[in-house]
Amino acid sequence: MRLPSILLQIPAPGPGRSLLLILVPVALGLIAVYLLLPRPRGTRPRWGTFSAGMAILLGGWLLGRSGSGWVETVLFYALSAIAIVAGGLLITLRNPVRAALSFALVVLSTCGLFLLQAAPFLMAATIIIYAGAIVVTFLFVIMLAQQVGTSDADQRSREPFLSSLAGFVLLGAMLCMLHLTYSTDRFDALLARAKEAVEKPTLEGITNTLGTGNDFFDALHREAQHAHLAPDKTRVFEDSLSALEENWNPPSWDADKMRSALRKLYEEGVAIRNSYGNLQPPRESSFLPPGIDKKQSLELSTYSRLHSNQPSTQPLRDAQGRSVMPAENVAYLGRTLFSDYLLAVELGGTLLLVATVGAIAIAGRRPEGLR
Amino acid sequence: MNELPMLHNYLVVGAILFALGLVGFLARRNLIVMFLSAEMMLQGVSLNLVAFARYRSNLQGQAFTLFIITVAACEAGIALALILMLYRRRHSLDVTLWQDLREPTVEPTFDEEPLPPPPVEEPLPRLTPAGLEPVHGQETSHV
Repeated sequence: MRLPSILLQIPAPGPGRSLLLILVPVALGLIAVYLLLPRPRGTRPRWGTFSAGMAILLGGWLLGRSGSGWVETVLFYALSAIAIVAGGLLITLRNPVRAALSFALVVLSTCGLFLLQAAPFLMAATIIIYAGAIVVTFLFVIMLAQQVGTSDADQRSREPFLSSLAGFVLLGAMLCMLHLTYSTDRFDALLARAKEAVEKPTLEGITNTLGTGNDFFDALHREAQHAHLAPDKTRVFEDSLSALEENWNPPSWDADKMRSALRKLYEEGVAIRNSYGNLQPPRESSFLPPGIDKKQSLELSTYSRLHSNQPSTQPLRDAQGRSVMPAENVAYLGRTLFSDYLLAVELGGTLLLVATVGAIAIAGRRPEGLR
Repeated sequence: MNELPMLHNYLVVGAILFALGLVGFLARRNLIVMFLSAEMMLQGVSLNLVAFARYRSNLQGQAFTLFIITVAACEAGIALALILMLYRRRHSLDVTLWQDLREPTVEPTFDEEPLPPPPVEEPLPRLTPAGLEPVHGQETSHV
C-alpha cells in the first residue's frame, strides 16, 4: 500500500517545473556526447567537456536539492544493484578473467555502501587491500588459465542443482527471517488508519474509523514493542497512546481535542516507524576521551560536539532517527582499536605473520623443484 | 516507492551476496573462482556488520569488520599459495582432480557428458601473392 508522503519525509515534487529541470541536464549531456563523439571534422572537445561537466553538476544539484535522503536512496539502490549483478556474474561467467573483473566490481560497490554507512576508513582499507589481492589474482589467472581450448574447470559445475538449491534455500530462510523481524507493513496500515481518522470531520467519524473496541490500541502497543527501540524512545509514544485510550470509550473529549491527540500519536508513530529496527545504543563505552564521565550514555554523534558549545546530551538525528555519525569517527575507530581491542589487534598482526610464513612455506619452492 | 534505505535493506544485500558466494563456492570447479566466491561471502558479512554499526551508533561493528579484512588477507595469501602448489602437481585448476582425497565410502564422480567442441575460430585471411617479385640487383658496398 502507498504511504502518505509525510512518512517518508520527502516533499512531493510538482510535476511541471521539476520535469523541465530534469530535462536540462539531460539535454546538456546530449550536447556533450554529440560534441565528444569521434568524427573527422567538427569536434569541439572544449565545449563538449564543458557541457558534460555542467550536466553532471546540474544533475547532482537536482538530486541533492530534494533532501539528502534522496541521494542516499539512489546511491544505495544503484550500488547494491551493481554489487548483486556483479556477484551473479562472478559465479556464472565461464571465463575466470571476467569473473575476477566482476569481483572487482563487487568489492568497489561494497566499498561505496561502506561509505554510505559512515565507514570511510573501512572503505579505504578494503579498496587498498583488495586492489592488491585482485591484481595478484589477475596475474594468477593469466598465468595458470588454460590458454587454448575448453577446460573441465571452467565449463563444468559440481552438482549445479544441489548447490544452487542449498544456497538459495539459505537465502530464502534469511530473507524470510529479515522480513518477519523488520517488516513495517502492519504498523504502516495502523498509522494509515490513524491518519484517515484525523481527517474525519465529526467525532462519530473518528470512532467509526478506529472501531469501538480496543483492537486498534492493542495492535499499536504490540507494534511499538516489536520495534525493539530504546525504552525512552517508545515511552513518549506509549504515553500518548495510553492517554488517548483512557478517553476513548466513551469519548470524554470533543472532536478537536481527540483529533489533535490522534495527530500527535500519528507523528510519534511515524518517528518510531522510521527508526524501526534501530537497536538500543550502548550504555557505556570505555574509549571516551579524558574528561568525560563514563557512566553517561553517549552515542557517537555526541563526540562531534564535545569541543563545541552545544550540549552533548542531545545527539543529532537524521530523518530515520539514526544518530548522525561524526566526521572524525576514523579517529574514534583508532581509539577503540587500541584500547578495547588491543589484544585482538596484536593477535591479528600475529595471524598475518603466521600466514606470511605459511604462504612462503607452501609455495616458496626452488625453481629446480618445478616439474 | 521512494523509501529511505533502512537497516533491513542493507541486511538483505548482505544476505544476497553471502548466498551468491555460497553457491559459487559449492558449484564452481575452478580453484580461483572458488577463492573469489569465498571472498564475496566475506564481503556480505562485512556489509552486515557495518550496517549494524551504523544503526547501533557505535564502532564495534566497524572494528569487527577490520578483523574480517585481516583474516581475508591471510586467507588470500594462503589460498593463492595453495592454488599455486596444487597447480604444480596436476597442471590444472580443476578441483575435481583432487577427489582421491574423499572419504573411502563416497563414490567417485566422473564427467560423463562430453565437453562441447571449442568454438571454431575463423581462419585469418591469407592474401594470395599477386604479381611477380622483381629481380633485385646485387647489393654492393664500397667501403
